[in-house]
Amino acid sequence: MGSRVEVLNDGGFRSDGRRQYELRDMTVDLSQQGVADGSAVVTHGLTQVLVSVFGPREAKMRSQTMHDRANINVEVSVAAFSTGERRKRSRGDKRILEMAATIKSTFEPVVQTTLYPRSQIDIFVQVLQQDGGVLQACINATTLALVNAGIPLLDFVCAVTGGVLSTSPMLDLTLLEENDIPHLTVAVMPKTGKVTLVTMETRLHVDRFEEIFRLAGEAGKVIHAEMKAAVRERTGRLVGAMGSGPRPTGGDFEDDAMDGV
Amino acid sequence: MASVSTSKAEISYIQSGLLSNPPLRADGRALHDFRTINLETGVVPLANGSAHLSIGQNAHHGGNGTEVLSAAKLEVENVEQGEGIDGGRIICTVTCSPSAYPHLSSQALEDLQYDMTTILHETFAHMSLLPKNLGILPGKKSWTLYLDSVVLTDSGNTYDALFMAARAALWDCKVPRTRSVEYKAPTAAPGSKAAESGQMDVDLDVSVQKSGFDTMAISHAVDFELPDYWDEGEVLDGRERWPVCVTLNVAAQSTKGPVVPYLDAILQEEAATPLRLLLVLSFPPGSSPNLHSMRLLGPGELDLSQIRDFVTSGEKYAQKVWEGLNGKLKEEDLRRGQKARDRFARR
Repeated sequence: MGSRVEVLNDGGFRSDGRRQYELRDMTVDLSQQGVADGSAVVTHGLTQVLVSVFGPREAKMRSQTMHDRANINVEVSVAAFSTGERRKRSRGDKRILEMAATIKSTFEPVVQTTLYPRSQIDIFVQVLQQDGGVLQACINATTLALVNAGIPLLDFVCAVTGGVLSTSPMLDLTLLEENDIPHLTVAVMPKTGKVTLVTMETRLHVDRFEEIFRLAGEAGKVIHAEMKAAVRERTGRLVGAMGSGPRPTGGDFEDDAMDGV
Repeated sequence: MASVSTSKAEISYIQSGLLSNPPLRADGRALHDFRTINLETGVVPLANGSAHLSIGQNAHHGGNGTEVLSAAKLEVENVEQGEGIDGGRIICTVTCSPSAYPHLSSQALEDLQYDMTTILHETFAHMSLLPKNLGILPGKKSWTLYLDSVVLTDSGNTYDALFMAARAALWDCKVPRTRSVEYKAPTAAPGSKAAESGQMDVDLDVSVQKSGFDTMAISHAVDFELPDYWDEGEVLDGRERWPVCVTLNVAAQSTKGPVVPYLDAILQEEAATPLRLLLVLSFPPGSSPNLHSMRLLGPGELDLSQIRDFVTSGEKYAQKVWEGLNGKLKEEDLRRGQKARDRFARR
């Protein structure tokens, strides 16, 4: 393991064998976790995040309720074994608080909080494995958990990371790539193309920004297709189990309800 | 641990159910029946050993149940500089996910976490359980094993789950094989071989240049290397010593009346009968059982004779848990070893 690993080699392949614009393998698991109202486990390659949503429910802290809308409370916890080196982060760690605040501000305009005055929506994020794109995975998992909980949203929120290696833009970065090249995280609402989050902590030349920003927005739409398929499949199974509709394995059933989403 | 609120009527109902003849529980179990336990090892690829254990989780939709994820990670510590202990050490931590306790404030969550951490750490960090292969270079470097557990969901009987998951993660843990490295200055002796480079790999027991004054074989090894980067390593020593825990919940209507212990309480049962005795026992083959730890939790009191009876019956139950867990762990070893061998054969 002595030689330096190339981020993008001459053949156009990255360190894990992907192409420049290729996204990592994404899996979505919407099965119930404990007593949460909605939960989702999302993996992007080797990054795995579990999000549980409780609410809308009576607020634990009365002082934080608002008279006309619901309060969104986000708590992030990173498992000590999630990284290569073991690192125990306390709940009050600044990086973690910052991530929680970022997630909260991403979802405040998207969740229809005005429907639930004086209540609270709790979002608990548990990072199980980290290999780059943690914020991206947290946001995608939060969207799915909120959808799973039945909380009304204006649209899905799909996030993806992007980076630029000198002049070549790349999408969905692993930890190795994030440490090497300037990168940003973009979260979009795919129906309208509106962006609810752009965050970058490295230095990127302003000429390169436009291209990667646009690419990341389009990649968000690809992720949206994956998420929609997962939600659809789960809802189909639930509906079949309830006996309210035909079994999802039936071949002649056309469901139009989710077509416009 | 008031994780669920119960009314007086509910409490009385549960208690009389447990004390009746025959005993009645909400899910129809006998007093000494456990719910289904699911165990999978090797779930965290970045850790040296890991296990995911759940008690009472529905196999189909993965619903309620007590879920614990445990991972053992080895880090090198420099004994010379004061960190770590010569011979290695174990540090346990428990984190309670807020989604497992949705109605506890963060302060109460921290307190609960601390209680669980203390019980686990005091038991596993004891010198009698220290594995023999945690040292690397005597007096210089050693492994510190961090055993981190996360309680993902809680539906009763968390302590049993924590100990079982911790034991499974330690069973699964592999310690990387190391080789000591000694640095030698180039020899200036005339007529010797051509000047050697500044460093050389030497196995600890073989000394290439013996000085006439070298009456003591002092180890000059100052660093170590991994001879095979991809090798997972050898199994952590002490598998027969790691204990299991049984929680004997005490169902009693009053301090004078009959006292009946039962196992594997769900949340409502725990709220109705808060007094419980934790027994941590191990059954090393070829010797008598060892009691590692004992805790009486909750409000209430027990006579010494009752505690004696509980310890005796607790030993029987713990033995069954021990055998069941060992059987499953061996099966997991086989499953993962088998797949690896198949993959190797197919490559």
